[in-house]
Amino acid sequence: MPIAFEKVSYTYAPGTPFSYAALKEVDLAIEMGKITAIIGPTGSGKSTLVQHLNALLQPSDGQVLVLDRIITHADKPKQLKSLRKNVGLVFQFPEYQLFEETVLKDVMFGPLNFGVSEEEAKKRAMETLTVVGIDPSIAEKSPLDLSGGQKRRIAIAGILAIDPKVLVLDEPTAGLDPQGSKSMMQLFTQLNRQYEKTVLIVTHDMEHVLNYCDNVVVMQDGKCVTHQTVKEFFNDGKLLHELNIKVPNVLRFKESLAKGGMSLPEGISDLQTLAKAIAGRIKP
Amino acid sequence: MSNIALGRYIPLDSLIHKLDPRMKIIAMFFLLIAVFVPAGYPGYGVLGVFIVSVLLIAKLRLNFIFRAMKPMAFMLVFLLMINVLVLRTGYVLFSFYGFTVYSDAIYQTLYITFRLALMIMITTALTATTKPLDLTLAIEDLLGPLKRFGVPAHEIAMMISIALRFIPTLIEETQRIMKAQASRGVDLKEGKFKEKIMAILSLIVPLFVSSFQRAEDLADAMEARGYVPSATRTRYKQLKRTLKDYIMLFIVLLLLGGLITLAFVV
Ligand SMILES: Nc1ncnc2c1ncn2[C@@H]1O[C@H](COP(=O)(O)OP(=O)(O)OP(=O)(O)O)[C@@H](O)[C@H]1O
Ligand SMILES: [Mg+2]
Repeated sequence: MPIAFEKVSYTYAPGTPFSYAALKEVDLAIEMGKITAIIGPTGSGKSTLVQHLNALLQPSDGQVLVLDRIITHADKPKQLKSLRKNVGLVFQFPEYQLFEETVLKDVMFGPLNFGVSEEEAKKRAMETLTVVGIDPSIAEKSPLDLSGGQKRRIAIAGILAIDPKVLVLDEPTAGLDPQGSKSMMQLFTQLNRQYEKTVLIVTHDMEHVLNYCDNVVVMQDGKCVTHQTVKEFFNDGKLLHELNIKVPNVLRFKESLAKGGMSLPEGISDLQTLAKAIAGRIKP
Repeated sequence: MSNIALGRYIPLDSLIHKLDPRMKIIAMFFLLIAVFVPAGYPGYGVLGVFIVSVLLIAKLRLNFIFRAMKPMAFMLVFLLMINVLVLRTGYVLFSFYGFTVYSDAIYQTLYITFRLALMIMITTALTATTKPLDLTLAIEDLLGPLKRFGVPAHEIAMMISIALRFIPTLIEETQRIMKAQASRGVDLKEGKFKEKIMAILSLIVPLFVSSFQRAEDLADAMEARGYVPSATRTRYKQLKRTLKDYIMLFIVLLLLGGLITLAFVV
């Protein structure tokens, strides 16, 4: 039951003067049950890539394997609902998809579409709203009257309430406050650890990649340039330099310490452990 | 949705593309009048040859013209049915199941088909070769003399150019919202009637909301930069008439005159 891209190419508006090859022969296998970060510069094809996962886009060439389904250019995939129930995709700027009269109804919309009963949908909606940090007191408000960050959380709750096996998030924290984006990332980690969900996150934030993700895929110019574990990735200084990636502060600090003669054990990636390790070195 | 051909600008480099948009609009009007001159089939033949050669000079592919005409196919089938039912003049062509089809029904339908096809080709020759912004500039200029009678020429042109500017944005937005809702299990093709209504609502409401939002933002941004419709302003892009434009208009007038002579004098 893997997720794999096999020589997948995608061209927007083929056969017109505006045609654009957004993906070029991407080969990629995503590990199930892990959190995978997808990074890369603007316009490198990240959003295009993830839209193949629930067949919103069909490859122009090659094939995509998702949960025992094969998506190719030729076939007219039927019963997409069963696929979309299992692969939940949260779009970049999902706040524009809200339309129901109340927040609660909007979150219930997805589960209801996938045949969940009214009661169950309501229960799930209330749960997910709490989980994403929305106060139940605004459940009866119109989603259009809320702040941008609140709208974003509600939109994410709308997908979580569907309870998909695979969760794909396209820049879920862009534009959120630091505290909010941190708790959002912690939520995804929790979903992964506790419910064994496979999570894919498109992000520009290297701190998030370092702190919350297991694997990392780097897209560049429509191609997948590397795919490895986060640990290996941030240890490969040459590659990071080649890809022009900003190394997270913790790692840079550690590196400077190493240059100054204080070498710390490998695998430290967060501030607290680093502080402890340093303290342990200084005291005795 | 992105391959709509009717009214779309095709960026090519040709003689027709370079003509002055004002003169092109005037020429288009004369040609549209020419379509309604009752010069019979010979007249339409001449006009048809003229328009097709203009389109060829503009380097447009005929395939594009056919695509532009596609939306009218449905209308024509409908028209043919009505004509067959209603028109009972001319000689009998054939009959089936006690149903007689008269020659005039076919003749009349063909006549209207020709007219419509010509009109679409004429307007396509204008819109496919003129940038939307140039078109609005030209409309503003042409409406200029009417300002004296209180016609808000600049405002009309501004409205048209803003509307044109946002058509691709709206199409993009629609596609995006459709995808987002599809991820939430919306299926526009299958499903029961009630589900379909819900599906359409889930598309239209966000589209309206974001359109209003965008309109408001745009108005604010314009005001913040001191936009006053009635202010006198100069233009970055100056429209210029050249000898070629006058020759083009002359040819069109010659054609119109010829058709009128053909219809009423000969
Ligand atoms: N609907 C579309 N029609 C035509 N071209 C498109 C369309 N959507 C995206 N593209 C093009 O495909 C390329 C890849 O776009 P994509 O949205 O996948 O980039 P991205 O990596 O997600 O970028 P970002 O980080 O800005 O979100 C871009 O160059 C873009 O111009
Ligand atoms: Mg993107």
